[in-house]
Amino acid sequence: MPWFNDRTIFLFAVALYGVSAIYSIFLLRKGFREDNRLNYLILVGAFALHTIAMFQRGFSLQRCPINNLYEATMFIGWTIVTAYLVLGAWARLRFLGAFAAPLLFGMGVYAFILSLGVKQTTQPDFTGGWQSLHAALIFLSYGAFGLSSLAALMYLNQEHDLKFHRMRAIFSLVPPIERLELIILRLLIAGFVLLTTGLLIGGLALTPPPGTSYWTDAKVVWSIIVWCLYLALLILHWRFAQTGRRFAWGAVGSFAFVLLTFWGFSLLSGIHNP
Amino acid sequence: MPLIVIGLSHHTSPVHVRERFAFADARIPATLELLRSTGVADEAVILSTCNRVEIYAATSGAPKQSMPTLRDFLVHCHDYRDPLTDEIYTFAEPQSIEHLFKVACGLDSMVLGETEILGQLKKAYDLALQHGCTGAVLNKAFQKAFNVAKHIRTETNIQRGSISVSSVAVELAQKIFSSLDDRQVMVIGAGDTSEKAARALLSRGARSIIVSNRSHERAEALAAELGGRAVHFEEWAREFDQVDIVISSTSAPHYILDRAKLQPLMRARKNRPLLLIDIAVPRDVEPEVNFMENVYLYNIDDLQTIAADYLKQRKEEIARCEAIIVEKARSLAGGRRPGLPPLSEPAFGHE
Repeated sequence: MPWFNDRTIFLFAVALYGVSAIYSIFLLRKGFREDNRLNYLILVGAFALHTIAMFQRGFSLQRCPINNLYEATMFIGWTIVTAYLVLGAWARLRFLGAFAAPLLFGMGVYAFILSLGVKQTTQPDFTGGWQSLHAALIFLSYGAFGLSSLAALMYLNQEHDLKFHRMRAIFSLVPPIERLELIILRLLIAGFVLLTTGLLIGGLALTPPPGTSYWTDAKVVWSIIVWCLYLALLILHWRFAQTGRRFAWGAVGSFAFVLLTFWGFSLLSGIHNP
Repeated sequence: MPLIVIGLSHHTSPVHVRERFAFADARIPATLELLRSTGVADEAVILSTCNRVEIYAATSGAPKQSMPTLRDFLVHCHDYRDPLTDEIYTFAEPQSIEHLFKVACGLDSMVLGETEILGQLKKAYDLALQHGCTGAVLNKAFQKAFNVAKHIRTETNIQRGSISVSSVAVELAQKIFSSLDDRQVMVIGAGDTSEKAARALLSRGARSIIVSNRSHERAEALAAELGGRAVHFEEWAREFDQVDIVISSTSAPHYILDRAKLQPLMRARKNRPLLLIDIAVPRDVEPEVNFMENVYLYNIDDLQTIAADYLKQRKEEIARCEAIIVEKARSLAGGRRPGLPPLSEPAFGHE
């Protein structure tokens, strides 16, 4: 069946993310008072399909499937859903799925649109161990930034409810906002360390193709801007007491910037999109 | 042997009647023994709290005969000679089992869904068990009642949320701060409600209390009682950089804390979250401060609204709880006596 390939399986996974995202709206409206087991199970199903799609693609390529934007977005989504399923093993943290599902659905649709422009079995865009490590670390950092933006969305939602004295602020299973802020910070630090390491490997261990330069490559410049953005966010938090809502908006805004500009700058890059 | 309940509670009798029927703890073992030795009951448990006095008994006789005997025992035991109308209620199965389950779940309590009664019921049962006054019927009924109470607590929202102002304050603090351990609480104005809220916060791990009051003696007295320290009323703002939760209840006719005053204080606190509980009327804290970042202000109306919403939610859960109780009571009574009348047909007894 030529139509039944990794892309089709991934499409089913995205459909399940969509179902979960719709169900999450009801959970959010009820302030997480409902049991989140069903949502967790839907995301387990989506994760299984997502994993099968990634494995199938990996086997067909004979390497880790992080070779183009489609696979990269798929990989970031996979790290996010994996992290959620691990955390969701604790019943008290299962509500996180209500925040993860819309993001996963959005990323899934985005990845699927990208997949339409990718050949089914293609030569990898990256080759060599350092290149794979460079790509994997950077995508893992985006996964961490994605999770921090989810935590930040939770923070903003809960903070708003507490400010406006909504009952659901007390009823909900969302952790205290102080703990959420700590989670945002730790995920940002993890993401920043991964991004820094990934960029350093790219700069030190890899050589740009002949006739190209890192300093004129759109993706490299963009990556440095993203790095500066997250560094500024952390410095503002530590040195200038930019905490709470501003910090959460910073995490959400920075990741929104990454999501909205990643594709465009990758296409402009001569090194990353030869 | 059927289970019979006889007693009086806050539903049927005022406190001046209940107090005359109350059993002192020391008197209960002897009374249980008397119940058995006189043949009034084969098994018995006496529950005596501030809101109810009840005897749960299993008798070999028919409930119709046993119930008047138990009633006479209860009345004569306390030498009560005043006229009684509907103060004393009696239940036979299956209502007696349902009643026991309702009591265990806090459905019959004055504060709907409260959990203290379960502890009191366990204590009453343990006392009877230690004195050999329980047998197969009461053991099974009480064990089942404790299981039903646990089931109701986990499966319904009847015990969820706080329905007093002080516990709502604690719950709000728990939604803001990762942990209440090591949190500094400041009480401005040593009123009764603020004292209760401070005590509730301390019981959940708050580090210590700073008390400030116009009358410094009163502040010192309360601080000593709560294990905290007192500061002069003019100096409370100086302590603000260490404080996480403020409970304010002064009788000042104007705001004692406004946006202009709080802004530099928040900078000194490095913008750490601050929970302000303003239970004073007129209010002590300018409402505008709630728009400041990391400041969460709740006044007495906000707290009472939350408490009332919780109560409403608990009331909405009653039907669910009763359905569970009826089902569990049916399974217990049916298991013991096949052919029991359907639960919709009331057995005799009244409340």
